[in-house]
Amino acid sequence: MLSIHTTEQLLQAIALACAALSVAIGVWYIVRRPHLNRVTKSMLLLGLGAFPLIVSLTGNISSFEYTLSRPFCGSCHVMGPYLRDAEDPNSYSLAAMHSRNHKFGENSCYTCHADYQMFGAITTKQNGMKHLFKYITEYAGTGPDGEGGPTIRLYKPFASAACMQCHSTTGKRYVEQHADQIEQIRNGEIGCIDCHNDIHPLALSRRPGARKEAAR
Amino acid sequence: MKHLMAKKMVLFSVIGTIVAMIFMASSIIFPHPLMLVLAMSIGQGIAILALVLYLLAVALDLQSSGGSYVPLEEPPSIEEPPPPAEGSGLPQA
Repeated sequence: MLSIHTTEQLLQAIALACAALSVAIGVWYIVRRPHLNRVTKSMLLLGLGAFPLIVSLTGNISSFEYTLSRPFCGSCHVMGPYLRDAEDPNSYSLAAMHSRNHKFGENSCYTCHADYQMFGAITTKQNGMKHLFKYITEYAGTGPDGEGGPTIRLYKPFASAACMQCHSTTGKRYVEQHADQIEQIRNGEIGCIDCHNDIHPLALSRRPGARKEAAR
Repeated sequence: MKHLMAKKMVLFSVIGTIVAMIFMASSIIFPHPLMLVLAMSIGQGIAILALVLYLLAVALDLQSSGGSYVPLEEPPSIEEPPPPAEGSGLPQA
């Protein structure tokens, strides 16, 4: 039974209902072939114009929302080890601990890896298209977790700004613990993951020798 | 001739829309990255083309059926009835 608990599910339901109505009008036209009078034209305007427009709008929004979620990132098999580690309740890797956070845990991949700037969402989605292209051209048929493919690495160094969305670097305990390097950390000369590098240990351990490269 | 062509265009438009709707609905039911990309590019592209084709077909149909603007005829003006003739027995104004 279809249950609607979130806005995303509501939009999906609206999109599916409008798609069904549009297809029903189309099938009615193909089967009946009515004369093109005013009523037929109005019906077709609904079926070919209004309903598809609603499907497009609601479908795009709900799809975009879904692309932020961890299951979406893990739907490419090369992400399998990363996903398994992030979802492991016994794991103490940074990815797993952040994925257990109830505020953003469901979207942990996107929250930490999205570009943190004005057009961050757009550049992140552009990179997503690049991921898909590489997935199809370089990782197809390379094993269940893509072991036979090239080493997975980030396109650019991991920005500490992603960590600083939550970890402001101004808390008393933080300042005490990082007193020696705090200015360098804030300037970006030292990255958070230079020290806190136990991020995706399960995934990286599957590709010996790739750890340093992948971490950056 | 134009009317037949318009009907054919509407038929293609309907088929195109059904294909586009199947693309878009399947990307919602099976949200795999490739499906989403296909739905957002090919699916929406086909849907837009289908709508344009339909609007063209409607324009063509209107043209063929002489659907140009025809102003309404002026309603007949209400003339005052002529005054009754003297001696007709009717009261005079």
